[in-house]
Amino acid sequence: MTRLDFMQGNVASAEGAIAAGCRFFGGYPITPSTEIAERMAARLPRVGGTFIQMEDEIASIAAVIGASWTGMKAMTATSGPGFSLMLENLGFAVMTETPLVVVDIQRGGPSTGQPTMSSQGDMLQCRYGSHGDIATIALAPASVQEMYDLTVKAFNLAERFRCPAFVMADEIVGHMRERIEIPGSVEVAKRRPLEPGRLPFAAGPDLVPGFPSFGRGYRVHVTGLTHDERGYPATNDEAVHAALVERLVTKVESSRREIADYEVMNPDADVVIVCYGAPARTVLQLAAEQAGPPVGVLRFRVVWPFPEHALGEFPNAEAFIVPEQNMGQLAREIERHTSLPVVPVPKLGGDLHTPGELARVVEEVRRR
Amino acid sequence: MKLVIDEERCKGCNLCTMVCPYRIFRPGTRANRKGILVPELDRPERCTNCRLNRLYGRTLCGICQLTCPDQAISWVDEKPYEPVRMEVEY
Amino acid sequence: MTFETWLRADRLPHIWCSGCSNGTILNCTLTAVDDLGLDPDRTVFVGGIGCSSRSVGYVATDSLHTTHGRALAFATGVKLADPTLNVLVFTGDGDLAAIGGNHFIHSCRRNIDLTVVCMNNLIYGMTGGQGSPTTPPGALSTTTPYGASEPAFDLAQLAVAAGANYVARWTSYHVRELERAIRAGIETPGLSFIEVRASCPTNYGRRNRLRDVTDQIEIFRTRSMLKAKYDRLVAAGSPVPPDAIVVGEFVRRANPVMGVPP
Repeated sequence: MTRLDFMQGNVASAEGAIAAGCRFFGGYPITPSTEIAERMAARLPRVGGTFIQMEDEIASIAAVIGASWTGMKAMTATSGPGFSLMLENLGFAVMTETPLVVVDIQRGGPSTGQPTMSSQGDMLQCRYGSHGDIATIALAPASVQEMYDLTVKAFNLAERFRCPAFVMADEIVGHMRERIEIPGSVEVAKRRPLEPGRLPFAAGPDLVPGFPSFGRGYRVHVTGLTHDERGYPATNDEAVHAALVERLVTKVESSRREIADYEVMNPDADVVIVCYGAPARTVLQLAAEQAGPPVGVLRFRVVWPFPEHALGEFPNAEAFIVPEQNMGQLAREIERHTSLPVVPVPKLGGDLHTPGELARVVEEVRRR
Repeated sequence: MKLVIDEERCKGCNLCTMVCPYRIFRPGTRANRKGILVPELDRPERCTNCRLNRLYGRTLCGICQLTCPDQAISWVDEKPYEPVRMEVEY
Repeated sequence: MTFETWLRADRLPHIWCSGCSNGTILNCTLTAVDDLGLDPDRTVFVGGIGCSSRSVGYVATDSLHTTHGRALAFATGVKLADPTLNVLVFTGDGDLAAIGGNHFIHSCRRNIDLTVVCMNNLIYGMTGGQGSPTTPPGALSTTTPYGASEPAFDLAQLAVAAGANYVARWTSYHVRELERAIRAGIETPGLSFIEVRASCPTNYGRRNRLRDVTDQIEIFRTRSMLKAKYDRLVAAGSPVPPDAIVVGEFVRRANPVMGVPP
């Protein structure tokens, strides 16, 4: 039965994780994500799960990967500086095809930056941060409700595609308190076990092999080295390496339509604002209140793999306006996929764009 | 039991020549196919394990096997001893 | 002896150089788990990066070959998520004491129920012989061409101070004692740390006048001193040879632990 509540975004994310079946949390305190760890520390022991505060973020993600290999759904939560520390092992998770969820409550960077202020500065880091070629899944909640819903979705996508899934929230959404409807039950993806007789890293047509959990007699060797279908290192074999990395990237990128999740408003509009995360709240208000010709809104709930086909939902579009709390990280990606002008509206410092600011940009773009 | 060295695994470090209490292993002198001087066995029937493994039903000594960094030393079953009756004609 | 059944025979011969102690230590560890009758299906080996950590790939159980220095953090996740699994960690001096030093002391502090076998060869072997936190002062390596100038870590004492429930040190010459120590480590709840002085003829011996494979083993044989004797000498104020390798059990205690089945 659906239950109404009033809670903070970070707490909603923790509740969503538990609803999705997460039973392991390894974390390290960092503003502005700490409430997730605090909520998990209180809640997990009551549902038969395990919470551990590790000695740093490197260890946190390592413990999460270890826990995930026992077949358990596992997550961690952090912010930019911690996310930077996690990158090495996130590459390991991609290479070893370990399902896990990282909630990144973004804050102003680079470096220690603005611990208590909002930002969307990690959007490229979560996509391209690891060395080597990777593909990851990133979701961007814009409300407390979505902190819950998209955390559940992140777990389901991580299980389905056997890769890390990121909830790329920001300080505003993480610390905001809002009304939330908590569903009585949520759809939860189960981890598909490795079929007997199959090699542990041999994938079928969907490019995602079944999961050989530890302790079930698979006796699997898991390594971050380039490995063949048996899981054995094959570091000097060019063909094995090429086939492995291509599969790891393709299994996610080729499913972008399946993973895609976005919202379209006013598809006939001439000017379209593309947004995700907290800035989307300003955009939605602008679209609702603005006088004059309607402005189109494309709001991504999934940012990576980038759903470029969504840009085609606006046949009359003449320009895309991209307000972000960074210097145009997603705007660059949008430029790759359209010949129309893309106008980034960067906003640094932690505040949201005001509807007036965006209205002025829309006017300016229309005048051109 | 018979003491054998797996030539595919041995890397010729000669640690076995150092640890065997009976000095059964001797540094090799002939290079094998991989160019490795595999130690040679000097009267391996002196090995405790070869002689008494059956009697005690477990591995005895076994220091060479435990020490061998290349997992190259093992004991294999031999054809059991069959008494042969010989009749001597005068 | 049946440690053979714990090996992935299809992956042998292994990558280690001739005379490397890692193979010996692997034999001893596998003999210990076999003697204890552990179920290979319920045993997980975790390693980091380095020559020593490659061991996990030769064991026919679930095995996790992780990133440099992080083996203990990964193992913590595995053990806490499923405390009924037996989790053993292979690591080396660079992996454990340098890049993984933080994870090492915190795992000891938590006293999580892992058995950690550290193959301490005093050098970074895989990358070609650079100085490590355990390279003794004066020893030559590619990054200490004029002799190491930094003091070295005493890993066993570090583990004792950090709170591990079982700590022992042996060398790769003492195969029986080592096997017994690993067995005792697995049987002791909490973090068990077994430091094994290992030889590296290729990268340590070659630069330190211990070129022959048996040279370092000879040192282990002749310079090892039992902990009990060492303590006696120290208590009596008698001189202790500066190059003595103190071997034996450093601590066995029953402090509160983490990661054991309820």
